[in-house]
Amino acid sequence: MSDEPMIRVVDVVKRYDRESTALDGLSLEVRRGEFVALAGPSGSGKSTLLHLLASLDAPTSGRIVVDGRDLASRYGVNRYRRLEVGLVFQLHNLLPHLSARQNVEMAMYGTGRRERERRRRADELLGSVGLGPFVESRPPELSGGERQRVAVARALANDPRVILADEPTGSLDPEMADVVVGLLRERCANEGVTVLSVSHDDRLLRAVDRVVYVVAGRAVDAG
Amino acid sequence: MPFIGLIFHNVRTRKFRAAVTAAAVAIGITAVVALGVLTYSLRETAVSILRTGRADFSIAQKGASDILYSSVDETEVAALRRRPEVESAVGALVATAKIDAQHPFFIEIGLPKHQLAEFGVKVVGGRAFANNATDEMMLGYRAAKEFGVKVGDTFKVEERRFKVVGLYSTGVVFGDLGGMFPLQSLQEWHRKPGVVTLAFVRVKPGTNVKKLRRSIEDATPQFATVRSETEFGRVDRNLILISAANVGGSLLALFIGATGVMNTSLLSFYERIREFGVLRSIGWTRRRVLVLVLGEALLVSLIGAVIGIGIGYLAVRGLTRVPDLVGVFKPAYNAWIFWRALLFASGMAFLGALYPAYKAARLVPLEALRRE
Repeated sequence: MSDEPMIRVVDVVKRYDRESTALDGLSLEVRRGEFVALAGPSGSGKSTLLHLLASLDAPTSGRIVVDGRDLASRYGVNRYRRLEVGLVFQLHNLLPHLSARQNVEMAMYGTGRRERERRRRADELLGSVGLGPFVESRPPELSGGERQRVAVARALANDPRVILADEPTGSLDPEMADVVVGLLRERCANEGVTVLSVSHDDRLLRAVDRVVYVVAGRAVDAG
Repeated sequence: MPFIGLIFHNVRTRKFRAAVTAAAVAIGITAVVALGVLTYSLRETAVSILRTGRADFSIAQKGASDILYSSVDETEVAALRRRPEVESAVGALVATAKIDAQHPFFIEIGLPKHQLAEFGVKVVGGRAFANNATDEMMLGYRAAKEFGVKVGDTFKVEERRFKVVGLYSTGVVFGDLGGMFPLQSLQEWHRKPGVVTLAFVRVKPGTNVKKLRRSIEDATPQFATVRSETEFGRVDRNLILISAANVGGSLLALFIGATGVMNTSLLSFYERIREFGVLRSIGWTRRRVLVLVLGEALLVSLIGAVIGIGIGYLAVRGLTRVPDLVGVFKPAYNAWIFWRALLFASGMAFLGALYPAYKAARLVPLEALRRE
């Protein structure tokens, strides 16, 4: 079981219409606990791949298996999104009327955690990304970097086995980028979490185990 | 934050939208409460006529438009009295008269003197009227207090003048606010010789009342027997019409309120598509999103209901001061009117928010996230 890759993408095609092909037979394998960066030019299909892996969209053809689960089966998709993958969006996607703490708590509804536990967990995660003093702040009151860190904390809320991140350090200053990269790295090393991150940030690209280039909808492993 | 707290939080952070929705609901609930109180008040007034006489059941003309227009021949009352199961049957003529602008519906009850006790009348001051006297009457003790009249005073009923020879009590507020007259005298005045409005029947112990009523209705199909207040509609079609208007008006208010809720909920849905997309993408189930939207609508509707109940209460009190309505009805309230208002508000929330909630729950997360 442990030899099986955590993520297996087999010949995946994603077409939006006849003219537009986002992924064109992409195949990829990621081991458990591996930290992999997806790099490549804009529009090459990196974000599309993350969305497919997060089960937010379905491939036109091909097969995606995460931790032995074939994502073609829609059964238990909410549980999968809630517990098995953590998503960090490029545009943060925080809810502006909720505080940082409440945004993190949102990911924990339906997990069986009690209110007090959700709150404690949210505070702990926000503290770990350097946002301890800002737990009550709402996204409009935070800088872009701070918002991104809230998004990272939210993705980690349920201890997912896979973290999918879209430019997680894109809006962070170097110091904070290091903190976030360190946090992801630590998850891989200590907890065996698999991280797949789209990034153009050299700091992150240097920290990963492997960089996979996505060009014209296909993966080119750079090792 | 508990889930219910999130519902409160979401409503609180969208105050203007919540206020507009609550206002729409409040308007609907005001109508529901006002109609409810009016119907209940009119019903209470009408039903009080039945309560005035001490009886196991009453008999009136079937299908009369108003109980006061019921006409029962005295010979029929006498025939009732001859039935072996009947202990007493008292025929009473009930009518209304205008005393002044504040008292447009003074109740006049005509009874034979010898049946006052059977009817449940207790003389609490002075004496009973003479049997065929045309210038004597008794006043209910509450009416005497209301009009400031004592035994021996003269009391004017429209153009008739009577000497108040006694004060009485029936134990029923409605009856004690009126006056009692010799039956024949009142029949003559209202040109209804030999006719009464209602017969109040008491049965002998051990009698099967249900069987007796059926037997009476079979023998005299022009009459209906009434035992409980819920049966009152059989002898007062106006009350049925008023109740129907209440139901119809309330349903209309329900749809008006629901339309208001739907309008604002749909606008809110389009504003929050991205939010729902985020929630779905982090694992919220469709059901949870549905419950969130319905919960918010329910909370706002209940706030609107509380406001509507308050306005409805004040509106009814205000109606009693409208010159044409002074003295026509006394507002009567019961808990059901307010529970009904809350039920209607919940209905407004559910009907109005179901479609937007369904749309929110059915959103494809990725498409929702792409919305600006």
